[in-house]
Amino acid sequence: MREIKPRSPLALLLIGIAVLYAVVLFAAPLVAIIYGAFKDGIDPIIETLTDPAVLHAFEVSIGLALGAVLINTIFGLVTAWVLVRQKFRGRGLFDTLIDIPFVFSPVIAGYAMIVLFGRGGWLAPPLFPIVFALPGILLAKTFVSLPFITREVQPVLGALSLEPEYAAYTLGASRWATFRRVILPELWTALLYGIVLTFARAVGEFGAVAVVGGNIEGYTETATSFVFRAMNDRNSTGAYVVSLILCLVSLLILFLMNLLRRRMVVSRG
Amino acid sequence: MKHFTVIAILVASLLALLPASAQNTPPPITLTLAGYAVPREAYDEIIPLFQQYWLAETGQQVNILESYQASGAQSRAIAGGLEADVAALSSEPDITRLVDAGLVNEDWKANEFGGIAADSLVVFAVRPGNPLGINDWVDVIQDGVEVITPDPATSGGAQWNILGGYGAAWRGFVPGYEGEEGAAEFLRALATNIAVLDRDGRESFLTFERGIGDVALTYENEVYAGLLAGGEYELIYPQSTIRIENPVAVIDTYVDAHGTREVAEAFVNFLWSEDAQRVFANHGFRPVNPVVRAELGIFENGAGAAAEATPAAEPSSIEHNPLIAFPPVTDEFTTLDIGGWPQARTQVFGEAGLFTQIIAEVQGR
Repeated sequence: MREIKPRSPLALLLIGIAVLYAVVLFAAPLVAIIYGAFKDGIDPIIETLTDPAVLHAFEVSIGLALGAVLINTIFGLVTAWVLVRQKFRGRGLFDTLIDIPFVFSPVIAGYAMIVLFGRGGWLAPPLFPIVFALPGILLAKTFVSLPFITREVQPVLGALSLEPEYAAYTLGASRWATFRRVILPELWTALLYGIVLTFARAVGEFGAVAVVGGNIEGYTETATSFVFRAMNDRNSTGAYVVSLILCLVSLLILFLMNLLRRRMVVSRG
Repeated sequence: MKHFTVIAILVASLLALLPASAQNTPPPITLTLAGYAVPREAYDEIIPLFQQYWLAETGQQVNILESYQASGAQSRAIAGGLEADVAALSSEPDITRLVDAGLVNEDWKANEFGGIAADSLVVFAVRPGNPLGINDWVDVIQDGVEVITPDPATSGGAQWNILGGYGAAWRGFVPGYEGEEGAAEFLRALATNIAVLDRDGRESFLTFERGIGDVALTYENEVYAGLLAGGEYELIYPQSTIRIENPVAVIDTYVDAHGTREVAEAFVNFLWSEDAQRVFANHGFRPVNPVVRAELGIFENGAGAAAEATPAAEPSSIEHNPLIAFPPVTDEFTTLDIGGWPQARTQVFGEAGLFTQIIAEVQGR
């Protein structure tokens, strides 16, 4: 059944272009990073990975990305629910606005946060600082990764049949029990996929975080801003080592996503 | 009743003890330093010296958080709410912005050193062997010479570079471009040759290091930092150049809010100590402390004789790096010689400023 016709020259050309494109854009930089990280032996790597500033930067990056995941899971589910199940004036506009973080430059988002929450800003916080502190970074990471969960959950929720829900109500289940035992099991895969994407985006963010955080070492510096700083300090090994770890995290995420996608195809198909 | 008395005595004696023990070991204090991109390596050495000094003086541990970015960007961040205690920036207008924002008191320059932590000069870095023969400003504007300098909109360093060439021309050191009008023409020719405008001084110099451009306009200390890190290029002094003055100031509003005024002021004063100034010198900055200047043979134009009056230095554990020298140039001028910073700020770099317009024109070609 497969491959009835021999491959045409055009197909071969397209395969060649696709593979070359992937190699040039992904594989070559990855090889360069691995080479850069290991070219001076193992000592600079250990030095980088035991540097308190680096460890702190990873803590900030990963901890606040998890925070962004938590916030966006709750609000993403609520938003998806509202968009699918509620009819209200302006729903179409609201649906469009959810994608703003995809089209907005993160750097501009960062500056907007400073204008809002910074010194003398309209929403300048009275008790603790938001911008140039960890809450600002959490906010930035949450903003840039906001649409994923909504966008993953929305279509699955929309495709769900209402009958099992009504059946559960009829049998006396509470709203919460219905959500937890009837709806959530259907959403799990899409939700997890959204969570993985949210986490990946939040960990990797640089522009908004650099603007909002002020890059204070050992405080608001993230792994990505450390890479930027290390390049400027002529500490190229440090930059490569931290980049390599970020790459490994991304690859791990990629495999997770593949796994989930297969589950999704199975459960949907 | 008996119990009550015992407890009362115990509580009273404990209360009496508390303040005393608190004075013996004051809780650690945290200071935030917001600097421009280039002097990081120097501060990495000065900070531990200050921590030792402060511990010895007061018994208090001081943690110093550091943030470094382009001077203009850093200044805007501080004005926007980055609550640093000390700002070490690359040019006076970036501190003036903080004065205008009501964060720094107007008298920040009122000390022996005029608020300047360290000096430098605008110089050129060229490829090994100086293949294009770039020895002075007039060579930089020849047809086809690719110039690397940061963007004056974000970088204080870039403003120094531009003012260096502008002033040299104004003062008659660029044949064919003398005087105020000639200097404007010089800027036009210079802008035409600029190949890359990076965000800050360090990024710009790294661009040059990676092989782009024929000549980098940069700080003397930036070239030394690169040469010490194994960079391969040559340091060229033009005949006439500007003295870069890097200001430092305590951010009054924030230190008062944090209760860190004492330690912040001590830190800034420590920057002018002989040891801190020697560290600056070892990173290619020209010190401002007269004792350390004398050690290195740096004298004001024609002030060699006065230097003999400088007191001898205390013995120090910090030795001067023999690879770093600070030769005199024929005409070392300051911003005051070309009208001062407020004038340069509006007339050259402001929205309607000369260089702003020239860059817009040249890039819009």
